[in-house]
This record gives sequence, structure tokens and C-alpha cells, in this order.
Amino acid sequence: MALYVLYESPSGYSLFHAHGIDEIGQNNEAVRNSVTDLNRFGKVVKLVGFSPFDSALDALNQCNSVSEGHMTDELRNFLELTLPKIKEGKKPKYSLGVAEPKIGSHIFEETKIPCQSNDFISELLRGVRQHFDKLISSLKSGDLEKAQLGLGHSYSRAKVKFNVNRVDNMVI
Amino acid sequence: RGGGMKGGSKVIVEPHRHEGVFIAKGKEDALCTKNMVPGESVYNEKRVSVQNEDGTKVEYRVWNPFRSKLAAAVLGGVDDIWIKPGARVLYLGAASGTTVSHVSDLVGPTGVVYAVEFSHRSGRDLVNMAKKRTNVIPIIEDARHPAKYRMLVGMVDVIFSDVAQPDQARILALNASYFLKAGGHFVISIKANCIDSTVPAEAVFAQEVKKLQSEQFKPMEQVTLEPFERDHACVVGAYRVAKKQKTTA
Repeated sequence: MALYVLYESPSGYSLFHAHGIDEIGQNNEAVRNSVTDLNRFGKVVKLVGFSPFDSALDALNQCNSVSEGHMTDELRNFLELTLPKIKEGKKPKYSLGVAEPKIGSHIFEETKIPCQSNDFISELLRGVRQHFDKLISSLKSGDLEKAQLGLGHSYSRAKVKFNVNRVDNMVI
Repeated sequence: RGGGMKGGSKVIVEPHRHEGVFIAKGKEDALCTKNMVPGESVYNEKRVSVQNEDGTKVEYRVWNPFRSKLAAAVLGGVDDIWIKPGARVLYLGAASGTTVSHVSDLVGPTGVVYAVEFSHRSGRDLVNMAKKRTNVIPIIEDARHPAKYRMLVGMVDVIFSDVAQPDQARILALNASYFLKAGGHFVISIKANCIDSTVPAEAVFAQEVKKLQSEQFKPMEQVTLEPFERDHACVVGAYRVAKKQKTTA
């Protein structure tokens, strides 16, 4: 069964195909070793799609949804276009690894794409996070930091904006 | 300019043993960092300006160990803080950003500081401070849920944690599992009272070190923050250290 991994970057959604998983899926220590080394990691995952955000505002909306565990229309379109089609009445032959179960269950409810999130997926995502700027050829070094900086400011400013009295709003 | 260090010509600034940290030697010695934004104080701290031989001026900001636990740890003689020029740092419990501003000086323009703070009250000051320092990325979010800010943070070299919560070892471990590279380092400030006020501070520290060890951390040193903070300790160590290959006898 094929495994795809969704990685939400500050500049866009990306989807990776993890192959060669059978031999390394057994042992977490082995996964870790192959994740740290870019040469080996580059052979384990392959980029299948990258969908950059349209604007800073779009990025902020996507970031807020991802943070709350919601799938946006943009993410749905990206997944349905990039992943193999599911035939009517048949079980899909792949699963999608996501960072967190909440967004996974939302994706499954809406699109019937089977999702999973576990330690193994987390390890793969650590690797993607570490090597992301090398895995996506259209990104120059420094671009990612700029995207994080802009998104971090707009995300954080929106949180403190509505509070004129400097009082803590504890939302639990 | 501030009062105490008047007449800058008398002050000599020397590099500290830790890269990026300096000591201003005037009437009294003071820890300081090289100001990323010359001409501006962040929290009314004193500034020291020094003229180089070629006439260019460099400005330093005095780093108060009574206000910053990291400064207290440096004066406490910690062997390595791992936060140095060019480092990528995740800072948990950033508060108003006073220490964060010094960390921003330390890592310089080639480094990055991801500053996480949950409280909106101090978060507002943090966001304002970050506007002037482009290597600081402010994140107003709960450090207990790193998944919520996973889009904003890249892989980091060091995590500094000052959250003062009973479950702070778990919070550190959770963030490390997302963002700390294998072989990266952590610096955690532990306030004994915040974890368990019924047992002696030393016992609390030992218990926290145990918790860290069970989460793939390798604590390497521990320093007390006396006399700047009472019943505080700072623990420094590594994450996911590669196991040494057993040599075949």
C-alpha cells in the first residue's frame, strides 16, 4: 500500500510519496537514521505536488485552519488533484499521513481519503521539515524564513489585536 | 544614553567565553550583547557605545541577570549555552521578549528566534519588539500544542524553555519531537516551586532531570541560578544523541 505525506509549509501545501517504506517501517531507529541524512532521505520520499499560497492573506487563512485542524477548500482541491483517484465502490490503495489526527479525521469525513498519524509519520515529517528547502527546487534559501516571518507576525497580531485592555483571554 | 556607564571612553568591551556575549568593563563589570538595532533600548536597559580604532561605533546592551534567567545561567558558569551567532532557536515562554531581544542579539542577522508566548498581555509587547528585529518570529500560541504552530516553525538547533509549568518537561519533549534536530540541544530553566513546593528544590531538580532522560534527552550539566533567582536551576543537554557504535572486541 502506498503512503503519501502531507506537509504544510508557510509558503504552500506539499505532498510527498514515501516509498521504500517496507524495509524501514519496521524499526524506528532505522527510520531516524535514514531521515537525518539528506542523500538517503531523498530516496525515501519524493515530492509529488506543491501548491503555493496565492497571497499573504490566503496563507494566514490556511494557517488558521490548519492550526484548528480544519481542511480548507484549497487543501481539498490540492489533495483531490494530486492524489490518485479513488474508484467508485472500491477501497483506496493508499493512505495519507498527516501531522495531527484532528485534521486527518476532517479530511477523511469530507473526502474519504484514509488518513493516519503516528510516530512513523512524525519521523517522516521531521525529515521533511529539516530538508524542505532542498526538496522543493523552486524555493531559494531564505525564502522559507521570510514566509515564516510574515506569517508569524500576521498570525500573532490577529491574536492580540482585539484586546485593547491588555487583559488575558484564556481560551481553553 | 543610560546613566551608569557615562563617558563611554572609559568602558572597554571584551568578548565573553560564550560567542556573541560580551563583558563591559567600566566601574563595574556588566554582561552585554551587541545591539542589533543600535540606538534603541527594548526595556529601558542601559546601552554602551564603543568606538573602534577605525572610528566606527558599536553599541552593546547591558544584560541584567536579575531579569533574565539565561544571563543568570551564563554568570552561574554554565559550560555552553549553545545559543550562538547563526543558531536557530525555539524559545518557549517568551513573555514580553526581554530575554528574547538578547537572544536575538546573540544569534545575529544569520540566526532565527521562534518566540512562543501564550499570554496575550505580554504577547503584545513581544509582537512590537519583533517588529524591529527581523530575526524574531513571534508566535502567540500555547506551547502545549506545537501542532497548532507547526506551519510557522522550521527545524531548530536549540530549544530554550522557561514556561514554569508543572508539566514543563513534557512540553519541552513535545516541541522537541516536532522541531529539534537530532543532536540538537536544550536549555531549560526550572523553578522548583512551580513543579512541587512540598519537597526540597534539589529533589525537584533531580526528578525533572529523570523525566528529561526518559524523553530522549541527555542532560549534560546543571547550574543553580543563585543569587539571582531563588530555588531555580538551569539544565542543559542534548537531544537524540547518536548511539556510539559498539566496537567489536
